Amino acid sequence: MSSQSATLNNTAWDGGKSPFGVSYGKMMMWFFLVSDALSFGGLLVAYGFMRHKYPEVWPDPSQVFTHFPGTHASIPLAYVGLMTFILILSSVTMVLAVEAGHRNDKKEVEKWMLLTIIGGLMFVGSQAWEWYNFIIGSHEGALRTVFEDGKWIEKTIYGANLQYNEYGLPVFGDFFFFITGFHGTHVFSGVVINFIIYVNVIKGTYEKRGHYEMVEKVGLYWHFVDLVWVFVFTFFYLL
Amino acid sequence: MEFNDNFPSYETMAHHSEEEGKLKRKELWKVFFILSAITIVELIIGFYPSSFSSMALKIIFIGGTLLKAGFIVLSFMHLGEEVKTLRYIIIAPYVFFIIYLSFIALNEGLYSDGHKATMDKNVLLHSQIKGAEAPAAKTTEAHH
Repeated sequence: MSSQSATLNNTAWDGGKSPFGVSYGKMMMWFFLVSDALSFGGLLVAYGFMRHKYPEVWPDPSQVFTHFPGTHASIPLAYVGLMTFILILSSVTMVLAVEAGHRNDKKEVEKWMLLTIIGGLMFVGSQAWEWYNFIIGSHEGALRTVFEDGKWIEKTIYGANLQYNEYGLPVFGDFFFFITGFHGTHVFSGVVINFIIYVNVIKGTYEKRGHYEMVEKVGLYWHFVDLVWVFVFTFFYLL
Repeated sequence: MEFNDNFPSYETMAHHSEEEGKLKRKELWKVFFILSAITIVELIIGFYPSSFSSMALKIIFIGGTLLKAGFIVLSFMHLGEEVKTLRYIIIAPYVFFIIYLSFIALNEGLYSDGHKATMDKNVLLHSQIKGAEAPAAKTTEAHH
């Protein structure tokens, strides 16, 4: 009896064991991801609301995102398809690092973590290029009615910013910058966290600890970033 | 008081041997090919959207997205291997809130329908490409 109560006192769980069969850190990572997913869900629903409200003036995404590096031809969806592929690939390398961690294979964890970081950086770079083209816009531009100096005037608009949008409703640009920006910030912080964990793996911190659960936790975050992109990809580019 | 989960050791519960790892890796690559295949099919359909009705496109794209999300969450994030309680405590509240939010948004999105020419005049003014017709009149026509 006394040995049992000693066990109870030694654990973070009042009931003596984790009700969900996972460690405290992993459970809290899941709870964080649910709340973060609600933020993204709210943003995407708001996007859907505006799109549903103004279908007649909503820009056609396949007319907006048509650039591909190295060519001036208009190829809709190709570039964003490539970005999606890069992110899914980096998600696989991440889960392979987690798998290697379950075998306490330090060398393999290092290899897959490094590939994940490279994939993440490639994705952030691609997103910067996408933003650049959206902001610069087309050569011709489009004639828009804009409110300037207290009156409505006609003006040729090139590209998009938070105020004007060459392609249609300005709120399309606002949502694009905010949602892909929020997601890009997540990717970037994911790369930073991945890098910190990668350094710890090299230093042997987790080998000493006997398990690589930190890799698994940062992996959860990284997969979440991929998960959000799957939804952004559908609602911004496909539909 | 120190908070150490020394019994049982949840951190090492997922550890497995070399042979089991081989099977798991095979499984993960399989999921990767499924995800890529769904994405490629979506891209091909997205390239020729005119051959599908808009409702069919919505069902294909949203269905494909949910399928991909399921594979990522259950396989890559290992939620399929966690205990049932954790699985439902993560998924159920989220699904409930999002369905509720989507319903509200789609419902309220139609609030100004039929009155856009007056209610949303300035919003629509900027978005029109300048032509012979007055923007407000064109908008009302397009919707009815």
